[in-house]
Amino acid sequence: MLAWLCTAMAQELYVNTEPASNMAAKSLGIRLENQGYFKPDFKQRSTLELMYGVNKNLMIHSTAYLSNFYQNQQRFEGLSAYAKYRFYSIDTVQRHFRMAAFAKVASIKNPIPNQEIALEGDNTGIQGGLVATQLLHKLALSGSASYLRAFENKGGYQPGTRNSIAYTLSAGYLLFPKRYTNYEQTNINLYAELLGKTNPGKGQHYLDIAPAVQFIFNSVFRVDLSYRTPLTNRMVRNTQNMYLVRLEYNLFNLFN
Amino acid sequence: MKTIKILIAILASSISVAQAQFIKADLQVSGLTCSMCSKATEKSLRSLPFISDIKPDLNRNLFTITFKANSPVSLEQMSKKVQGAGFSINQLTATVNFDKLKLNNNTFSYAGDTYHLVNGNNKELDGTMPVTVVNKGFAAPAVVRKYAAPVVTASASGKTYKLVL
Repeated sequence: MLAWLCTAMAQELYVNTEPASNMAAKSLGIRLENQGYFKPDFKQRSTLELMYGVNKNLMIHSTAYLSNFYQNQQRFEGLSAYAKYRFYSIDTVQRHFRMAAFAKVASIKNPIPNQEIALEGDNTGIQGGLVATQLLHKLALSGSASYLRAFENKGGYQPGTRNSIAYTLSAGYLLFPKRYTNYEQTNINLYAELLGKTNPGKGQHYLDIAPAVQFIFNSVFRVDLSYRTPLTNRMVRNTQNMYLVRLEYNLFNLFN
Repeated sequence: MKTIKILIAILASSISVAQAQFIKADLQVSGLTCSMCSKATEKSLRSLPFISDIKPDLNRNLFTITFKANSPVSLEQMSKKVQGAGFSINQLTATVNFDKLKLNNNTFSYAGDTYHLVNGNNKELDGTMPVTVVNKGFAAPAVVRKYAAPVVTASASGKTYKLVL
């Protein structure tokens, strides 16, 4: 598996995490996403996310959430904002190492039956952390660690857990094309990501594996498919055994 | 009448003075990992008014850039576009038509900037030759360090570029 990874060209456009690299400055990315689970009932969440490259070091996201996770009808749940600042880069043609700091804030109206603090539509809170991404010839690895703090959800719902530590480890590689000739070639990328959280002092933790496949058409339109499932699970949450379908369109060099 | 004659004389002399002309450039970018990144970089470069065409080599992260005939080329703006897209220039080799250019202390001027040939021998340059820029922001860090010695700035205004033949 590792030998195979090393012969393929690695990619950093992780599906379940963000790399330390940013999107191009003055570019806008639009994401439509659907996530959900089938047990005990089929529930799904749709999100609209706008991403913008402010300059070469800073990018921002803003996201709106809609789901029937906590009631029978689809309902608008709230918003989140995310910023990532790349503060360290060593670039050469074949390898690079980059580090970035990120912060997220979410304002959500939902009850809180879960132990997981998730700023992706479930909790009002803040998150801050570091991400490092290393491209070694043809293998790209990325890891992150962050701290999450939950506040009272809109509607007066108190979180049972206020503090959480999240960590991720991601690897990706290019399946097609074997050799680039033009921008119109469809890229197919495969990813394997480990997603973990632990609530300190509570004995609550989980570690998920999230394989993903990604298609990039015309170098601007991206389709992500992923499914996450626990390796270990001692936390009540929505995110176990969850599928993800994402469409992303990129508008490069918008404002000049 | 006298002033017109002088004007004509000045015009004639300015035409006959040899001018360096930038024809094309091979620009290798580091930090690119996917065709999306390359496309964003190319689109950014294409917005520069002096670039007429770009041909990408996606396997080598290399852009072959053709310049417009009569537009002054700004290397600084090219570097800014690449960095703005989130990447860095690993190598920039420009093909320049020197047209019997006489060097002054191994330097020549072009579009307000000063170009210093680091390994020149002060001879007249003629014909089309590739030159590689070794300034910070235009070359790999190791190359920048190799040519880190400061050069004598001939003109106060504009940027001074270090070139290697």
